Amino acid sequence: MPPKAGFSRAKTVGYDDDDIYDDYSEEEYVGEGEGEAMSEEDKEQMAAGVIKVREALGSEYSKVKEVDIQDALWNYYYDVGKSVTFLKNKYAPKAPAPAKPKAVSRFDQAAGAADAKTPTSTGKHMLICGTESTARAMSNLAIDGEGESIASLCETLRDGLAAMSRETPFTERTARSQASSCASDYTSARTKDFFWDVPWGNVPCSRLATITAQPATHKGGLLGGSSKLAALAAKRKQKQQEEAAAKADAAANGLAADKAVALLDRLNIRDKPASAPVRDDTKPRYPKKRSETPPPPEPAPVEEEPIPEPQGIRIEFPNLRAKQPSMFGAILCGSPQDEPRNQHVESALNSFPLPYANAKAFTDADPFSKPSPDDLVRQAQARSAGAPKSKTKTKGSTDGEKLAESVEKLVVETKVKSKNLNVVDEYRNCGLKKVANFVVIGHVDHGKSTLMGRLLYDLKVVDERSVDKLRQEAETIGKSSFALAWLMDQTPEERSRGVTVDIATVPFETEQTSFTILDAPGHRDFIPNMIAGVSQADFAVLVVDAQENSFQSGLKGQTKEHALIVRSMGIQRLIVAVNKMDTVSWSKERFDKVRQATTAFFETASFSLKNITFIPCAGLTGDNVTKRVADENAEWYSGPTFLEALEASEPKPRALERPLRLTINDVFRGSGQNPLSISGQIEAGTLQIGDVVLALPSRETATIKAIELPDGSPADWAVAGQIPTLHLVDIDVVHLRLGDLLCAPTAPVRLVKSFTCKMLAFEHVMPQFVDVFRGKQQATGLITALASILDKNTGEVTRRKPRIVRPGEVARVRIELEGSAGLPLEVGGRIVLRDGGRTVGAGLLESYT
Amino acid sequence: MAANTDRRRINAPSGGTSAPVFAKPVKEPGYLQLLRPNRNRGPNELRKTFLQTGVVPSASGSAYLEVPTTTTTSHSSLIPPTSSLKIAASIQGPKPLPRSAPFSPTLVLTTTVKFAPFATRHRRGYIRDSAERDLGVHLETALRGVIIGERWPKSGLEVVITILEGDEDTWWGDSKAEGGSGSGWGLLNVLAGCITVASAAIMDAGIDCVDMVAGGVAAMTRDGQKILDPCPAEHQDIVAACAVGFLASRDEITELWLKGEVGAEPDELIESATHAAMGSVSVLREVLLENIETKTKVASEGSKRRLEDLEVRD
Repeated sequence: MPPKAGFSRAKTVGYDDDDIYDDYSEEEYVGEGEGEAMSEEDKEQMAAGVIKVREALGSEYSKVKEVDIQDALWNYYYDVGKSVTFLKNKYAPKAPAPAKPKAVSRFDQAAGAADAKTPTSTGKHMLICGTESTARAMSNLAIDGEGESIASLCETLRDGLAAMSRETPFTERTARSQASSCASDYTSARTKDFFWDVPWGNVPCSRLATITAQPATHKGGLLGGSSKLAALAAKRKQKQQEEAAAKADAAANGLAADKAVALLDRLNIRDKPASAPVRDDTKPRYPKKRSETPPPPEPAPVEEEPIPEPQGIRIEFPNLRAKQPSMFGAILCGSPQDEPRNQHVESALNSFPLPYANAKAFTDADPFSKPSPDDLVRQAQARSAGAPKSKTKTKGSTDGEKLAESVEKLVVETKVKSKNLNVVDEYRNCGLKKVANFVVIGHVDHGKSTLMGRLLYDLKVVDERSVDKLRQEAETIGKSSFALAWLMDQTPEERSRGVTVDIATVPFETEQTSFTILDAPGHRDFIPNMIAGVSQADFAVLVVDAQENSFQSGLKGQTKEHALIVRSMGIQRLIVAVNKMDTVSWSKERFDKVRQATTAFFETASFSLKNITFIPCAGLTGDNVTKRVADENAEWYSGPTFLEALEASEPKPRALERPLRLTINDVFRGSGQNPLSISGQIEAGTLQIGDVVLALPSRETATIKAIELPDGSPADWAVAGQIPTLHLVDIDVVHLRLGDLLCAPTAPVRLVKSFTCKMLAFEHVMPQFVDVFRGKQQATGLITALASILDKNTGEVTRRKPRIVRPGEVARVRIELEGSAGLPLEVGGRIVLRDGGRTVGAGLLESYT
Repeated sequence: MAANTDRRRINAPSGGTSAPVFAKPVKEPGYLQLLRPNRNRGPNELRKTFLQTGVVPSASGSAYLEVPTTTTTSHSSLIPPTSSLKIAASIQGPKPLPRSAPFSPTLVLTTTVKFAPFATRHRRGYIRDSAERDLGVHLETALRGVIIGERWPKSGLEVVITILEGDEDTWWGDSKAEGGSGSGWGLLNVLAGCITVASAAIMDAGIDCVDMVAGGVAAMTRDGQKILDPCPAEHQDIVAACAVGFLASRDEITELWLKGEVGAEPDELIESATHAAMGSVSVLREVLLENIETKTKVASEGSKRRLEDLEVRD
C-alpha cells in the first residue's frame, strides 16, 4: 500500500490525470481481491456478471482478461453497464502518442545551469540533488513501459517540486522521498520493489545532502566580544560569503531569464552582485490568493505594469520620488554622506529670502531720512519745557467745560426729572435738627461696640425683644457680655471673632440732634476701615478701658494710633469715654490716673485740651451712659453723662455752597426697583433727585433716581453732613467701588498723581514707598522729597531738606503716586500714609501738579 | 483701588499689558479669492514624495515622509497657499512583551498616531483626540495584514507616527467661514501618508512582511471626475474620497476608508485610489533598494575594518 500521505501529497501537487488514477486503483484492488475470500453469493453474482459483460463487450474486446472484468464488476457493485463502459474505455485501441518536446521549464534551466557549474553544498544544491534523483526514478518508470502517462506524471511532479523547491530544505527532502516512493508503486506492487528506493544505509554519495542552516541576516556587528577567535570566524565567514556571492553572481548571469529564483531581480538589481543576504523564502510560504494555477511568469516591473483601466487612462509615475525634501526635512534627515544635499541645505539657509523684500514699498522706503520717534519726543519736550504750568491750568478748565457740556446732554436724555430745588434754601427753611456724625475709636476690646449698643438700647432705638434674643444667642456660645456689641456687629464673622471688622453706621436721634454712629474697628488689621469712618465724622469718641493692664496696652497700641489718625484727619473735638468703670468699682484714683496719662499723650499729639472731655461710664451696665450712676462709689462724679456730652458737641460747619463731594461707603443692591444703591457721607455741597454725579476715579456719570435718609424716609434732597442712601441709574456697578468719590460734574475733582503735603509723622519717615489713603481709596506712592521741617504750632520752616522726619514732627513732603489712575484729591484734603501695616503719617494736601 | 488688596502676597504690577491687535489680512472683497490655490497638475498626476528611512537612530526602524506643496508661494501673503504633509514614523521592537501581558502567539502590533500641536491650523492638544485614535486604528488595520506575525510570538511592535504637518481639510480662506472644522478630506491624505511611511519604517526595521503596503488617495469631484492624490485646499467640489492600503504585487487591499457620497459605483474610486498607491509603491521600492544598498555597504565596510584590525594585530 502506498503511504496515505504520499497519495494526498500527490493530489495537492496537481495530480489529476484520470488514466493514471485508474491504473493505480485497479492494481491496488486486484491485490486486495486476491487476498480476500468471497462469499458464495458474491461468487454467483460475479460469474453471472462476467458472462453478461462478455456478451455486452462483443468480439472486439475478446482480449479483455477475466480478472479485469471481475474487478470492474466488483468495483461497480455488479453494475454491468458501467463495467462495460469502463472496460471499453480501458481497452480502446490507442495510437501510441510520440513524447511531446516540452518547453524546458525555468526550473530545469536553473537546475541545468547549477549542475553544469558543479555547485558546492548549499541549499540550492541539495534541491538539485533531489530533482536529479527524482528524474532518475522517473526515467526508470518510463522504461518500465507505462509510456506517456508516466511522463506526464513526471511533468506534474516536477512542476510541483519546482513550486516546493522554494520551501525549506526539510520539506523538500520529505517531498522528494515521498514522491519517489509513491512513483515506485505505480510500476509494481511487489514488496521487494516497494523498498527499492530505501537505501538501508548504502546511500550513494550523489544523494547525500548536507543540511545547512540559513545564515541569519548579518547586521554588521558581532554580538560577542572582540576575541581573536571571533575575528577569525568573521574572516572565514567573509571568505565564504565572497565565494558564495561569486557563485551566485555567475548563476545569476547564467539565469538572466529566471525571475522566480532571485528576489532581488524583482527589485531591479540586475547589474549588482547579488551579495545582499536576502532570503528567498519570503514569497511562496504565503502564496497569492489568486494563484490556483501556477504563478504567472512575469511579475513585470511596476513602472510598466499594465493597470486595468476602465476609462482607458494610462497612469505612469515616472520619478515620483522627490530628491530634495523641504528645508525642515533636509535638517531632519541630512546625512553626512550626502554631500550635495547638505550643500543645498546650507545654501538654502544662507540665502533665506526676507519676506516682502521684493515689494516696492520695502525697496523705496528710506527709514532713516526722517528724525526718529525718540527725537520727535525729545524735541517736543524741549519746546514745552518753557511754560508747563499755565498749560496744565488751561487744560483743566477746558476739561471741566467739556465735561459740563457732555453732562448737560446726558441730563436731557435721562428720564429722572429734577425738581430744580434750591437745596440750600430748602434746608434752611425746613428747620431740621442738627446733624452730627461721630466715630467711635479705641483699642480693641475696650468696649466700643458694647458702649454704643448700650446707648442705642437705652435710647429705645432697638427694642427689648431683639436685645433679649441677642443675649440668648450670646449666652449659648458663652459670650454673654457681647450681646450689646452685637447690636453693632452684625456679620457672622464679626460675631464669631468678637471684634468689629467694618464700620457700622447706625443713626439715632435725641431731642435736639440726629446722630449717626460710625463704629470703627479697633483691631490694627482694619485701620483702613477705621480711616474711612473717621473721614466721615464730625467728632470722635475715644473709648479707653479703665483697667490698668488693658489701658496700658491700648496706650501703646490703637488708642494712640487712632487718636493720631483722628487728629490728622482734622477732627478737633474728642470725647474720651473711660469705660468699664464698674470693674474698678468707680474708683476716682483710677479715673484720674487714666485722665492724666491720656492728657499727657494728647499734648504731645498737639490736641487742644479745651476740646477734650473725659466721661467715666460703664457700657455693660449702662451707668452714666444715658442716666446718672446709681453706685455709691461714684458720687464724686458730677459731670455730664455720655449722652449729654454728645449733645454738647458742635458739628463741623457744613460747606453747603461748595460743589458736591460724597465718599461712597457702601455699594449695594437696594431693591428690585433700585438695582444700584450707594451710601456715604456728603462731605460738601448738596444734591437732589435728578442730579447727575460724576464717579471718580472711573470718570463715569450717573443720575440720582431717589434719595433715602438714614432713618429710611425718602427725601428730595440731601445736604452736607448727612449720610443718605442714593439710588443711581445710568451707571454700571463695576464703575463704583467703596471709597470712590462722587462729585458734581461741573466742578470735578482732579485725579492727582503728584502733590505736596504737610505731613505729621508718627514714625520715622524717609524718602520711601508708602500707601496713600484717601478715605477708603488707596494708592501706592513714593515720598520723593522731604522739603522742610515745620514748626508744629506756627507753621514756620525750621529746617530745610531734612534727611529724616522723626515721629511727632511736621514736615512738608512731596509724594508721587504710582499707577495710571491717581487719587481724586483737592487742596485741603486729608490723607493718611501707611507702610507695612503701620500708620507712618497723616497729611494735609497743600498743592498738586 | 480700595483697601481690600491682598497685602500678604506679592500682587501683580499695577500697569497691565495690552493684547496685540493684528491688521486685517483682507483688503478688499475679492482679494481673498485671488489667493486661492489651484491644482496645477493633471488629474492623474501625483505630488512628488520625499521618503527617507533611518532618520531616528535610536529606533529599530524609522522613516520620514514629506509631500511638499506644489503651488507656488505668492508674494502678497505670508500664509502658504496649501499645507504640505510631513510625517515621521519610528518603530520600536519587536521586543518581548512585559511579563504582565497575556500570552500572544503572534506579534502584538500597537500603532500610535499623534498630530504635533502645531501640525494643523486648528491647534492640537497633547492628549490624543478621537481623530488621532481613529487614524491609529485605521493604520493598524492596514499594517496587520502585511506583517507576518507568527514569527514573533510573545513580542510587541510599536509603530509611533508623529504628524509634523498635516494636510488641511479646506483652504484656510474658506475655513473661517465654515467654522474651521472642515470636511475631513485632509485626514484621508494623512492616513495614506501614515501607511506609506509606516511601511517604509517597518521595512527599515527588517520585520518580515508579505509585501510592501502603500497608501493612496483618490477623490471624486461633483462632476464625477476622479482625481488622484487630491490636495483638499485646491479643490472646492470634492464629494467623495477614498484612501486605501494596497499591496501592489499581490493586488490586495488591507485598508479601505471611503468617505462622502460616492454614488452607485464605488469600485472606480477605489480603483483610482489603488492607482495612487502604485505611485507610493514605486517610491517605496526605490527607498527599499537604497536601504538595502547602504546596509550591505555598512556591513561589508564594518567587517572589512575588523579584518584590517586583525591583520594589524597579527
